[in-house]
Amino acid sequence: MKLTLHNISFAYDNDIVIKNIDCSFISGNFYSIIGPNGSGKTTLLDLLSGFLKPGTGTIDIDKNPVLSLSKKQIAKNIALVSQDYSINFPFSVKDVVMMGRHPYIPRFSHPSDEDLDKVQLMMEVTGILHLQDRKVNELSGGERQRCVFARALCQDTQVLLLDEAFSNMDINHTLQMLSLVRQSVKQKDKLVISVFHDLNMASNWSDALLMLKKGEIKAFGNSQDVLSQQTIKNVFNVDSIVEFNEHVQAKQVYYPSI
Amino acid sequence: MGYIRIPVMDIINILIAKIIGNLNLIETINETYLAVIFDVRLPRILTCTAVGAALAVSGSLFQGILLNPLADPYTLGVSAGAAFGASIAILLNLSAAFVSVPAFAFTGACATLFVVMFLSYSSKSPGLSLSSNNLILSGIIIGAILSAGISFLKFVANEQVSVIIFWLMGSFASKTWPDFLIVMIFLMAGLCISMFFARDLNLISLGAKPATSLGVDLRKVTIILLVTGSMLAAVSVSVSGIIGFVGLLIPHMVRLITGPDNRKLIPISMLAGASLLLFADTITRAILVHEIPIGVLTALTGGPVFCWIFKKSRLN
Repeated sequence: MKLTLHNISFAYDNDIVIKNIDCSFISGNFYSIIGPNGSGKTTLLDLLSGFLKPGTGTIDIDKNPVLSLSKKQIAKNIALVSQDYSINFPFSVKDVVMMGRHPYIPRFSHPSDEDLDKVQLMMEVTGILHLQDRKVNELSGGERQRCVFARALCQDTQVLLLDEAFSNMDINHTLQMLSLVRQSVKQKDKLVISVFHDLNMASNWSDALLMLKKGEIKAFGNSQDVLSQQTIKNVFNVDSIVEFNEHVQAKQVYYPSI
Repeated sequence: MGYIRIPVMDIINILIAKIIGNLNLIETINETYLAVIFDVRLPRILTCTAVGAALAVSGSLFQGILLNPLADPYTLGVSAGAAFGASIAILLNLSAAFVSVPAFAFTGACATLFVVMFLSYSSKSPGLSLSSNNLILSGIIIGAILSAGISFLKFVANEQVSVIIFWLMGSFASKTWPDFLIVMIFLMAGLCISMFFARDLNLISLGAKPATSLGVDLRKVTIILLVTGSMLAAVSVSVSGIIGFVGLLIPHMVRLITGPDNRKLIPISMLAGASLLLFADTITRAILVHEIPIGVLTALTGGPVFCWIFKKSRLN
Protein backbone atom coordinates (compact mmCIF):
# COMPACT_ATOMS: atom_id res chain seq x y z
CA MET A 1 0.00 0.00 0.00
CA LYS A 2 1.20 3.45 -0.87
CA LEU A 3 0.03 6.94 0.10
CA THR A 4 1.13 9.48 -2.49
CA LEU A 5 0.96 13.28 -2.37
CA HIS A 6 1.06 15.09 -5.70
CA ASN A 7 1.91 18.78 -5.54
CA ILE A 8 -0.13 19.46 -2.39
CA SER A 9 -0.67 23.03 -1.24
CA PHE A 10 -2.95 24.39 1.43
CA ALA A 11 -3.71 27.84 2.82
CA TYR A 12 -5.87 29.15 5.64
CA ASP A 13 -7.25 32.34 4.08
CA ASN A 14 -4.03 33.95 2.84
CA ASP A 15 -1.60 32.09 5.09
CA ILE A 16 0.06 29.43 2.99
CA VAL A 17 0.69 26.53 5.36
CA ILE A 18 1.71 23.75 2.98
CA LYS A 19 3.69 24.47 -0.20
CA ASN A 20 3.88 22.11 -3.20
CA ILE A 21 4.58 18.90 -1.34
CA ASP A 22 5.38 15.81 -3.39
CA CYS A 23 6.20 12.60 -1.56
CA SER A 24 5.00 9.09 -0.90
CA PHE A 25 4.66 6.89 2.14
CA ILE A 26 4.91 3.12 1.75
CA SER A 27 3.37 0.57 4.11
CA GLY A 28 5.66 -1.49 6.31
CA ASN A 29 7.36 1.72 7.43
CA PHE A 30 7.19 4.01 10.43
CA TYR A 31 7.55 7.65 9.35
CA SER A 32 8.11 10.62 11.63
CA ILE A 33 7.35 14.21 10.79
CA ILE A 34 9.45 16.75 12.65
CA GLY A 35 9.66 20.50 12.37
CA PRO A 36 9.29 23.72 14.35
CA ASN A 37 5.95 25.02 15.70
CA GLY A 38 3.71 26.24 12.92
CA SER A 39 5.62 24.39 10.21
CA GLY A 40 2.47 22.64 8.99
CA LYS A 41 2.86 19.21 10.62
CA THR A 42 -0.72 18.94 11.89
CA THR A 43 -2.10 20.45 8.69
CA LEU A 44 -0.25 17.80 6.69
CA LEU A 45 -1.84 15.04 8.80
CA ASP A 46 -5.27 16.71 8.42
CA LEU A 47 -4.83 16.68 4.65
CA LEU A 48 -3.80 13.01 4.72
CA SER A 49 -6.83 12.08 6.82
CA GLY A 50 -9.22 13.95 4.52
CA PHE A 51 -10.26 16.41 7.24
CA LEU A 52 -8.95 19.31 5.14
CA LYS A 53 -9.18 19.60 1.37
CA PRO A 54 -5.94 20.55 -0.36
CA GLY A 55 -5.98 23.84 -2.26
CA THR A 56 -4.08 22.22 -5.11
CA GLY A 57 -2.94 18.67 -5.83
CA THR A 58 -4.27 15.25 -4.93
CA ILE A 59 -3.55 12.57 -2.38
CA ASP A 60 -3.87 9.00 -3.59
CA ILE A 61 -4.21 5.87 -1.54
CA ASP A 62 -2.72 3.32 -3.93
CA LYS A 63 -4.33 4.62 -7.14
CA ASN A 64 -7.53 6.15 -5.67
CA PRO A 65 -7.77 9.80 -4.67
CA VAL A 66 -8.61 9.95 -0.95
CA LEU A 67 -11.33 12.55 -1.57
CA SER A 68 -13.12 10.22 -4.01
CA LEU A 69 -13.77 7.81 -1.14
CA SER A 70 -16.73 8.22 1.19
CA LYS A 71 -16.04 9.33 4.76
CA LYS A 72 -16.78 5.79 5.96
CA GLN A 73 -14.33 4.27 3.48
CA ILE A 74 -11.64 6.73 4.52
CA ALA A 75 -12.32 5.81 8.16
CA LYS A 76 -11.74 2.14 7.31
CA ASN A 77 -8.38 2.98 5.72
CA ILE A 78 -6.95 5.86 7.75
CA ALA A 79 -7.15 6.43 11.51
CA LEU A 80 -6.05 9.63 13.22
CA VAL A 81 -5.06 10.25 16.83
CA SER A 82 -5.39 14.01 16.98
CA GLN A 83 -4.32 16.49 19.59
CA ASP A 84 -7.85 17.43 20.45
CA TYR A 85 -9.03 14.70 22.72
CA SER A 86 -11.24 16.58 25.16
CA ILE A 87 -14.77 15.25 25.33
CA ASN A 88 -17.64 17.32 26.74
CA PHE A 89 -20.07 14.55 27.53
CA PRO A 90 -19.58 11.82 30.13
CA PHE A 91 -19.19 8.79 27.84
CA SER A 92 -17.55 5.76 29.42
CA VAL A 93 -14.09 4.68 28.25
CA LYS A 94 -15.60 1.56 26.71
CA ASP A 95 -18.16 3.64 24.77
CA VAL A 96 -15.41 5.87 23.38
CA VAL A 97 -13.26 2.92 22.31
CA MET A 98 -16.34 1.32 20.72
CA MET A 99 -16.75 4.49 18.62
CA GLY A 100 -13.67 3.28 16.74
CA ARG A 101 -15.89 0.54 15.32
CA HIS A 102 -18.39 3.10 14.00
CA PRO A 103 -17.45 2.66 10.31
CA TYR A 104 -18.04 -1.10 10.59
CA ILE A 105 -21.36 -1.17 12.46
CA PRO A 106 -24.39 -0.68 10.20
CA ARG A 107 -26.99 1.89 11.28
CA PHE A 108 -29.44 0.63 13.93
CA SER A 109 -27.30 -2.48 14.53
CA HIS A 110 -25.68 -3.65 17.71
CA PRO A 111 -21.94 -4.26 17.76
CA SER A 112 -21.07 -7.78 16.59
CA ASP A 113 -19.00 -10.23 18.65
CA GLU A 114 -16.03 -9.25 16.50
CA ASP A 115 -16.51 -5.59 17.42
CA LEU A 116 -16.79 -6.41 21.12
CA ASP A 117 -13.70 -8.65 21.00
CA LYS A 118 -11.69 -5.99 19.21
CA VAL A 119 -12.66 -3.32 21.75
CA GLN A 120 -11.75 -5.66 24.60
CA LEU A 121 -8.38 -6.50 23.02
CA MET A 122 -7.42 -2.89 22.29
CA MET A 123 -8.32 -1.79 25.82
CA GLU A 124 -6.12 -4.59 27.05
CA VAL A 125 -3.08 -3.77 24.93
CA THR A 126 -3.28 -0.06 25.73
CA GLY A 127 -3.65 -0.83 29.44
CA ILE A 128 -7.01 0.84 30.01
CA LEU A 129 -9.12 -2.25 30.68
CA HIS A 130 -9.39 -1.35 34.35
CA LEU A 131 -10.73 2.09 33.37
CA GLN A 132 -13.43 0.80 31.02
CA ASP A 133 -16.42 1.93 33.09
CA ARG A 134 -14.92 5.25 34.12
CA LYS A 135 -16.21 8.44 32.53
CA VAL A 136 -13.76 9.66 29.95
CA ASN A 137 -13.98 13.32 31.00
CA GLU A 138 -12.80 12.36 34.48
CA LEU A 139 -9.55 10.70 33.35
CA SER A 140 -6.08 12.22 33.38
CA GLY A 141 -4.62 13.52 30.12
CA GLY A 142 -2.41 10.47 29.58
CA GLU A 143 -5.21 8.02 30.32
CA ARG A 144 -7.51 9.83 27.93
CA GLN A 145 -4.80 9.76 25.26
CA ARG A 146 -4.49 5.98 25.64
CA CYS A 147 -8.25 5.72 25.36
CA VAL A 148 -8.16 7.68 22.07
CA PHE A 149 -5.23 5.52 20.96
CA ALA A 150 -7.27 2.37 21.63
CA ARG A 151 -10.14 3.89 19.65
CA ALA A 152 -7.90 4.50 16.65
CA LEU A 153 -6.52 0.93 16.85
CA CYS A 154 -10.11 -0.36 16.84
CA GLN A 155 -10.61 1.29 13.45
CA ASP A 156 -8.40 -1.50 12.15
CA THR A 157 -6.90 0.64 9.40
CA GLN A 158 -3.90 0.17 7.16
CA VAL A 159 -2.76 3.74 7.90
CA LEU A 160 -2.36 5.23 11.38
CA LEU A 161 -1.67 8.96 11.77
CA LEU A 162 -0.37 10.12 15.16
CA ASP A 163 -0.36 13.81 16.01
CA GLU A 164 1.79 14.06 19.12
CA ALA A 165 -0.17 11.08 20.37
CA PHE A 166 2.20 10.50 23.29
CA SER A 167 2.47 14.07 24.55
CA ASN A 168 0.76 13.37 27.88
CA MET A 169 1.77 9.76 28.45
CA ASP A 170 4.43 8.74 30.94
CA ILE A 171 7.60 7.15 29.56
CA ASN A 172 6.46 3.63 30.39
CA HIS A 173 3.22 3.94 28.41
CA THR A 174 4.90 5.87 25.61
CA LEU A 175 7.36 3.02 25.06
CA GLN A 176 4.59 0.42 25.28
CA MET A 177 2.46 2.23 22.69
CA LEU A 178 5.44 2.79 20.40
CA SER A 179 6.52 -0.85 20.44
CA LEU A 180 2.89 -1.82 19.84
CA VAL A 181 2.80 0.43 16.82
CA ARG A 182 6.17 -0.73 15.47
CA GLN A 183 5.12 -4.34 15.85
CA SER A 184 2.02 -3.76 13.72
CA VAL A 185 4.13 -1.94 11.12
CA LYS A 186 6.56 -4.82 10.78
CA GLN A 187 4.21 -7.78 11.26
CA LYS A 188 1.02 -6.54 9.63
CA ASP A 189 2.58 -4.28 7.00
CA LYS A 190 0.88 -1.14 8.35
CA LEU A 191 1.83 2.44 7.62
CA VAL A 192 2.39 4.81 10.54
CA ILE A 193 3.05 8.53 10.23
CA SER A 194 3.74 10.28 13.51
CA VAL A 195 4.44 13.88 14.49
CA PHE A 196 7.18 14.11 17.12
CA HIS A 197 8.87 16.92 18.99
CA ASP A 198 11.52 14.71 20.57
CA LEU A 199 14.15 14.15 17.87
CA ASN A 200 15.73 11.23 19.75
CA MET A 201 12.38 9.47 20.02
CA ALA A 202 11.84 10.00 16.29
CA SER A 203 15.30 8.66 15.51
CA ASN A 204 14.87 5.59 17.75
CA TRP A 205 11.54 4.48 16.45
CA SER A 206 11.10 5.53 12.86
CA ASP A 207 12.40 4.16 9.60
CA ALA A 208 12.21 7.49 7.84
CA LEU A 209 12.09 11.17 8.82
CA LEU A 210 10.33 14.02 7.09
CA MET A 211 11.59 17.46 8.13
CA LEU A 212 9.14 20.26 7.55
CA LYS A 213 9.79 23.98 7.71
CA LYS A 214 7.33 26.70 6.71
CA GLY A 215 5.25 24.17 4.82
CA GLU A 216 8.11 22.81 2.74
CA ILE A 217 10.02 19.54 2.92
CA LYS A 218 13.60 20.29 4.01
CA ALA A 219 14.71 16.67 4.22
CA PHE A 220 13.04 13.31 3.67
CA GLY A 221 14.62 9.87 3.87
CA ASN A 222 16.13 7.22 6.07
CA SER A 223 16.20 8.50 9.66
CA GLN A 224 19.88 7.84 10.14
CA ASP A 225 20.80 9.64 6.92
CA VAL A 226 18.57 12.64 7.43
CA LEU A 227 19.46 13.43 11.03
CA SER A 228 22.56 15.61 11.12
CA GLN A 229 23.92 18.74 12.71
CA GLN A 230 23.35 20.56 9.46
CA THR A 231 19.69 19.63 8.93
CA ILE A 232 18.84 20.38 12.56
CA LYS A 233 20.51 23.80 12.32
CA ASN A 234 18.76 24.39 9.04
CA VAL A 235 15.27 23.43 10.24
CA PHE A 236 15.24 24.38 13.93
CA ASN A 237 18.03 26.97 14.03
CA VAL A 238 19.62 25.12 16.95
CA ASP A 239 23.23 24.02 17.47
CA SER A 240 23.54 20.34 18.26
CA ILE A 241 25.82 17.35 18.37
CA VAL A 242 24.58 14.26 16.54
CA GLU A 243 26.17 10.91 17.42
CA PHE A 244 25.47 7.27 16.83
CA ASN A 245 24.51 5.68 20.15
CA GLU A 246 25.29 1.97 20.52
CA HIS A 247 22.74 1.36 23.25
CA VAL A 248 19.80 2.36 21.11
CA GLN A 249 21.44 1.55 17.78
CA ALA A 250 20.43 4.91 16.37
CA LYS A 251 21.66 8.48 16.09
CA GLN A 252 20.99 10.68 19.12
CA VAL A 253 20.96 14.44 19.34
CA TYR A 254 22.60 16.39 22.20
CA TYR A 255 22.31 20.09 22.75
CA PRO A 256 25.40 21.84 24.09
CA SER A 257 24.42 24.23 26.86
CA ILE A 258 24.11 27.77 25.65
CA MET B 1 -62.76 31.08 31.91
CA GLY B 2 -63.53 28.96 34.92
CA TYR B 3 -64.00 25.25 34.85
CA ILE B 4 -66.78 22.69 34.59
CA ARG B 5 -66.88 19.62 36.80
CA ILE B 6 -67.39 16.53 34.65
CA PRO B 7 -67.79 13.10 36.30
CA VAL B 8 -64.80 10.82 35.72
CA MET B 9 -67.01 8.00 34.39
CA ASP B 10 -68.45 10.34 31.76
CA ILE B 11 -64.97 11.26 30.61
CA ILE B 12 -64.02 7.60 30.29
CA ASN B 13 -67.23 6.80 28.47
CA ILE B 14 -66.76 9.67 26.04
CA LEU B 15 -63.22 8.60 25.23
CA ILE B 16 -64.14 4.93 24.80
CA ALA B 17 -67.13 5.83 22.64
CA LYS B 18 -65.03 8.05 20.39
CA ILE B 19 -62.26 5.47 20.09
CA ILE B 20 -64.40 2.43 19.28
CA GLY B 21 -66.94 4.52 17.40
CA ASN B 22 -69.89 3.31 19.47
CA LEU B 23 -72.05 6.38 20.05
CA ASN B 24 -74.68 4.50 22.12
CA LEU B 25 -72.47 4.87 25.18
CA ILE B 26 -72.75 8.63 25.21
CA GLU B 27 -76.43 9.10 24.47
CA THR B 28 -77.15 9.91 28.09
CA ILE B 29 -74.26 12.35 28.52
CA ASN B 30 -74.65 16.12 28.44
CA GLU B 31 -73.68 17.50 25.02
CA THR B 32 -71.66 20.32 26.57
CA TYR B 33 -69.47 17.75 28.28
CA LEU B 34 -68.88 16.12 24.94
CA ALA B 35 -67.79 19.38 23.36
CA VAL B 36 -65.61 20.32 26.33
CA ILE B 37 -63.84 16.98 26.41
CA PHE B 38 -63.45 16.43 22.73
CA ASP B 39 -63.00 19.89 21.23
CA VAL B 40 -61.43 21.83 24.09
CA ARG B 41 -59.62 19.62 26.58
CA LEU B 42 -58.30 16.82 24.37
CA PRO B 43 -56.69 19.02 21.69
CA ARG B 44 -55.12 21.15 24.40
CA ILE B 45 -53.71 18.17 26.29
CA LEU B 46 -52.40 16.50 23.16
CA THR B 47 -50.90 19.70 21.74
CA CYS B 48 -49.22 20.31 25.06
CA THR B 49 -47.64 16.84 25.19
CA ALA B 50 -46.53 17.10 21.55
CA VAL B 51 -44.93 20.51 22.15
CA GLY B 52 -43.20 19.25 25.31
CA ALA B 53 -41.86 16.28 23.35
CA ALA B 54 -40.73 18.45 20.42
CA LEU B 55 -38.92 20.94 22.67
CA ALA B 56 -37.12 18.15 24.54
CA VAL B 57 -35.98 16.40 21.34
CA SER B 58 -34.90 19.74 19.94
CA GLY B 59 -32.94 20.49 23.12
CA SER B 60 -31.13 17.12 22.97
CA LEU B 61 -30.15 17.81 19.35
CA PHE B 62 -28.84 21.31 20.07
CA GLN B 63 -26.86 20.14 23.10
CA GLY B 64 -25.28 17.42 20.96
CA ILE B 65 -24.45 19.59 17.95
CA LEU B 66 -23.23 22.58 19.94
CA LEU B 67 -21.12 20.29 22.19
CA ASN B 68 -22.65 22.07 25.09
CA PRO B 69 -24.87 20.54 27.75
CA LEU B 70 -26.26 24.02 28.42
CA ALA B 71 -27.52 24.74 24.91
CA ASP B 72 -31.26 24.76 24.24
CA PRO B 73 -33.63 25.09 21.29
CA TYR B 74 -33.45 28.87 21.64
CA THR B 75 -29.64 29.23 21.74
CA LEU B 76 -29.47 29.96 18.03
CA GLY B 77 -32.06 32.74 18.28
CA VAL B 78 -34.80 30.64 16.71
CA SER B 79 -37.27 31.71 19.40
CA ALA B 80 -36.41 35.38 18.96
CA GLY B 81 -37.00 34.96 15.23
CA ALA B 82 -40.37 33.35 15.87
CA ALA B 83 -41.30 36.05 18.37
CA PHE B 84 -40.29 38.77 15.93
CA GLY B 85 -42.40 37.20 13.18
CA ALA B 86 -45.37 36.86 15.51
CA SER B 87 -45.00 40.44 16.74
CA ILE B 88 -45.11 41.74 13.18
CA ALA B 89 -48.22 39.71 12.44
CA ILE B 90 -49.94 41.01 15.58
CA LEU B 91 -48.86 44.58 14.90
CA LEU B 92 -50.16 44.48 11.33
CA ASN B 93 -53.38 43.13 12.78
CA LEU B 94 -53.17 39.90 10.88
CA SER B 95 -54.19 38.03 14.03
CA ALA B 96 -57.79 37.96 12.86
CA ALA B 97 -56.83 35.58 10.10
CA PHE B 98 -56.51 32.21 11.81
CA VAL B 99 -53.08 31.03 10.65
CA SER B 100 -51.24 34.29 10.31
CA VAL B 101 -49.49 34.58 13.66
CA PRO B 102 -48.17 30.99 13.70
CA ALA B 103 -47.23 31.24 10.03
CA PHE B 104 -45.30 34.48 10.59
CA ALA B 105 -43.65 33.02 13.69
CA PHE B 106 -42.57 29.95 11.75
CA THR B 107 -41.22 32.04 8.88
CA GLY B 108 -39.32 34.23 11.35
CA ALA B 109 -37.76 31.18 12.99
CA CYS B 110 -36.68 29.68 9.65
CA ALA B 111 -35.23 32.97 8.41
CA THR B 112 -33.26 33.34 11.64
CA LEU B 113 -31.80 29.85 11.33
CA PHE B 114 -30.81 30.58 7.76
CA VAL B 115 -29.02 33.81 8.70
CA VAL B 116 -27.25 32.18 11.67
CA MET B 117 -26.04 29.30 9.51
CA PHE B 118 -24.96 31.70 6.77
CA LEU B 119 -22.92 33.74 9.28
CA SER B 120 -21.09 30.73 10.69
CA TYR B 121 -20.51 28.95 7.39
CA SER B 122 -17.29 29.16 5.45
CA SER B 123 -16.59 27.15 2.32
CA LYS B 124 -12.83 27.37 2.92
CA SER B 125 -12.52 24.88 5.73
CA PRO B 126 -15.55 22.60 5.67
CA GLY B 127 -14.45 20.82 8.82
CA LEU B 128 -14.32 24.01 10.82
CA SER B 129 -17.31 25.95 9.52
CA LEU B 130 -20.54 25.53 11.45
CA SER B 131 -18.42 24.85 14.52
CA SER B 132 -20.25 25.17 17.81
CA ASN B 133 -18.48 28.40 18.75
CA ASN B 134 -19.35 30.05 15.45
CA LEU B 135 -22.97 28.94 15.69
CA ILE B 136 -23.45 30.04 19.30
CA LEU B 137 -21.85 33.41 18.64
CA SER B 138 -23.93 34.06 15.51
CA GLY B 139 -27.05 32.90 17.34
CA ILE B 140 -26.46 35.28 20.22
CA ILE B 141 -25.78 38.23 17.91
CA ILE B 142 -28.87 37.62 15.78
CA GLY B 143 -30.94 36.96 18.92
CA ALA B 144 -29.85 40.28 20.41
CA ILE B 145 -30.73 42.18 17.23
CA LEU B 146 -34.15 40.52 17.07
CA SER B 147 -34.84 41.22 20.75
CA ALA B 148 -34.18 44.89 20.11
CA GLY B 149 -36.49 44.63 17.10
CA ILE B 150 -39.24 43.13 19.27
CA SER B 151 -38.83 45.93 21.82
CA PHE B 152 -39.20 48.43 19.01
CA LEU B 153 -42.34 46.70 17.73
CA LYS B 154 -43.81 46.74 21.25
CA PHE B 155 -42.97 50.42 21.50
CA VAL B 156 -44.84 51.30 18.32
CA ALA B 157 -47.67 48.83 18.96
CA ASN B 158 -49.85 51.03 21.22
CA GLU B 159 -52.90 49.06 22.30
CA GLN B 160 -51.66 45.89 20.58
CA VAL B 161 -48.73 45.68 22.99
CA SER B 162 -50.56 43.47 25.47
CA VAL B 163 -51.43 40.99 22.72
CA ILE B 164 -47.78 40.72 21.81
CA ILE B 165 -46.72 40.31 25.43
CA PHE B 166 -49.30 37.59 26.09
CA TRP B 167 -48.41 35.73 22.93
CA LEU B 168 -44.73 35.77 23.87
CA MET B 169 -45.46 34.31 27.30
CA GLY B 170 -46.83 31.11 25.83
CA SER B 171 -50.13 29.32 26.39
CA PHE B 172 -52.02 26.20 25.39
CA ALA B 173 -55.45 27.76 25.90
CA SER B 174 -57.82 27.23 22.94
CA LYS B 175 -55.56 24.91 20.99
CA THR B 176 -57.31 22.97 18.27
CA TRP B 177 -56.95 19.64 16.50
CA PRO B 178 -55.07 21.21 13.56
CA ASP B 179 -52.52 22.66 16.03
CA PHE B 180 -51.96 19.20 17.43
CA LEU B 181 -51.67 17.59 14.03
CA ILE B 182 -49.10 20.10 12.77
CA VAL B 183 -46.87 19.65 15.82
CA MET B 184 -47.31 15.88 15.68
CA ILE B 185 -46.25 15.66 12.03
CA PHE B 186 -43.10 17.68 12.75
CA LEU B 187 -42.44 15.67 15.90
CA MET B 188 -42.65 12.30 14.16
CA ALA B 189 -40.49 13.43 11.25
CA GLY B 190 -38.01 15.04 13.65
CA LEU B 191 -37.84 11.95 15.82
CA CYS B 192 -37.16 9.66 12.85
CA ILE B 193 -34.38 11.93 11.55
CA SER B 194 -32.84 12.30 15.02
CA MET B 195 -32.82 8.57 15.65
CA PHE B 196 -31.35 7.95 12.20
CA PHE B 197 -28.36 10.17 13.05
CA ALA B 198 -28.23 9.48 16.81
CA ARG B 199 -24.99 7.53 16.69
CA ASP B 200 -23.34 10.13 14.44
CA LEU B 201 -24.39 12.73 17.01
CA ASN B 202 -22.57 10.72 19.69
CA LEU B 203 -19.40 10.88 17.62
CA ILE B 204 -19.78 14.60 16.99
CA SER B 205 -19.35 15.13 20.72
CA LEU B 206 -15.74 13.91 20.33
CA GLY B 207 -15.00 17.08 18.35
CA ALA B 208 -14.88 17.89 14.65
CA LYS B 209 -11.62 16.22 13.75
CA PRO B 210 -12.09 12.90 15.59
CA ALA B 211 -15.67 12.63 14.34
CA THR B 212 -14.56 13.16 10.74
CA SER B 213 -11.75 10.63 11.06
CA LEU B 214 -14.28 8.09 12.35
CA GLY B 215 -16.36 8.40 9.20
CA VAL B 216 -18.99 11.02 10.09
CA ASP B 217 -19.85 13.44 7.30
CA LEU B 218 -19.73 16.29 9.78
CA ARG B 219 -21.12 19.09 7.64
CA LYS B 220 -24.02 17.06 6.29
CA VAL B 221 -25.04 15.67 9.68
CA THR B 222 -24.66 19.06 11.38
CA ILE B 223 -26.85 20.82 8.83
CA ILE B 224 -29.54 18.13 8.86
CA LEU B 225 -29.73 18.02 12.64
CA LEU B 226 -29.62 21.82 13.01
CA VAL B 227 -32.53 22.17 10.61
CA THR B 228 -34.41 19.35 12.35
CA GLY B 229 -33.89 20.83 15.83
CA SER B 230 -34.80 24.32 14.65
CA MET B 231 -37.95 23.14 12.86
CA LEU B 232 -39.09 21.40 16.03
CA ALA B 233 -38.45 24.55 18.05
CA ALA B 234 -40.05 26.75 15.38
CA VAL B 235 -43.26 24.76 15.17
CA SER B 236 -43.49 24.63 18.97
CA VAL B 237 -43.06 28.37 19.35
CA SER B 238 -45.47 29.06 16.50
CA VAL B 239 -48.22 27.03 18.10
CA SER B 240 -47.78 27.87 21.75
CA GLY B 241 -45.46 30.86 22.19
CA ILE B 242 -42.14 30.78 23.98
CA ILE B 243 -41.91 28.06 26.61
CA GLY B 244 -38.49 28.11 28.21
CA PHE B 245 -36.47 25.60 30.18
CA VAL B 246 -38.15 22.42 28.85
CA GLY B 247 -35.59 22.08 26.06
CA LEU B 248 -32.72 22.96 28.38
CA LEU B 249 -33.66 21.10 31.51
CA ILE B 250 -35.17 17.84 30.25
CA PRO B 251 -32.22 16.53 28.20
CA HIS B 252 -29.89 17.67 30.97
CA MET B 253 -31.78 15.74 33.65
CA VAL B 254 -32.40 12.70 31.46
CA ARG B 255 -28.68 12.56 30.66
CA LEU B 256 -27.98 12.11 34.37
CA ILE B 257 -30.05 8.92 34.24
CA THR B 258 -29.47 7.46 30.76
CA GLY B 259 -25.93 8.70 30.17
CA PRO B 260 -24.94 10.72 27.11
CA ASP B 261 -25.80 8.11 24.43
CA ASN B 262 -28.22 9.94 22.13
CA ARG B 263 -29.87 6.68 21.06
CA LYS B 264 -31.38 6.52 24.55
CA LEU B 265 -31.28 10.20 25.44
CA ILE B 266 -33.46 11.43 22.56
CA PRO B 267 -36.48 9.10 22.94
CA ILE B 268 -36.47 9.24 26.73
CA SER B 269 -36.16 13.04 26.72
CA MET B 270 -39.14 13.10 24.37
CA LEU B 271 -41.31 11.18 26.82
CA ALA B 272 -40.05 13.19 29.78
CA GLY B 273 -40.66 16.49 27.99
CA ALA B 274 -44.19 15.48 27.09
CA SER B 275 -44.97 14.42 30.67
CA LEU B 276 -43.42 17.48 32.28
CA LEU B 277 -45.16 20.01 30.07
CA LEU B 278 -48.50 18.27 30.49
CA PHE B 279 -47.99 18.32 34.24
CA ALA B 280 -47.15 22.03 34.14
CA ASP B 281 -50.12 22.84 31.92
CA THR B 282 -52.44 20.88 34.21
CA ILE B 283 -51.23 22.97 37.13
CA THR B 284 -51.88 26.26 35.34
CA ARG B 285 -55.28 25.06 34.13
CA ALA B 286 -56.74 23.11 37.01
CA ILE B 287 -54.93 23.92 40.24
CA LEU B 288 -54.08 27.62 40.15
CA VAL B 289 -56.96 29.99 40.78
CA HIS B 290 -56.09 32.10 37.75
CA GLU B 291 -54.53 30.55 34.69
CA ILE B 292 -51.01 31.93 34.35
CA PRO B 293 -49.04 31.70 31.10
CA ILE B 294 -47.26 28.36 30.95
CA GLY B 295 -44.02 29.93 29.69
CA VAL B 296 -43.89 31.92 32.92
CA LEU B 297 -44.59 28.85 35.04
CA THR B 298 -41.92 26.68 33.38
CA ALA B 299 -39.32 29.44 33.73
CA LEU B 300 -40.27 30.19 37.33
CA THR B 301 -40.10 26.55 38.40
CA GLY B 302 -37.53 25.28 35.90
CA GLY B 303 -35.05 28.04 36.65
CA PRO B 304 -34.57 27.24 40.33
CA VAL B 305 -34.50 23.50 39.61
CA PHE B 306 -31.78 24.12 37.09
CA CYS B 307 -29.81 26.23 39.57
CA TRP B 308 -30.02 23.37 42.04
CA ILE B 309 -28.83 20.74 39.54
CA PHE B 310 -26.09 23.04 38.32
CA LYS B 311 -24.82 23.78 41.82
CA LYS B 312 -24.97 20.13 42.79
CA SER B 313 -23.03 18.99 39.71
CA ARG B 314 -20.37 21.66 40.42
CA LEU B 315 -19.94 20.34 43.94
CA ASN B 316 -19.43 16.73 42.84
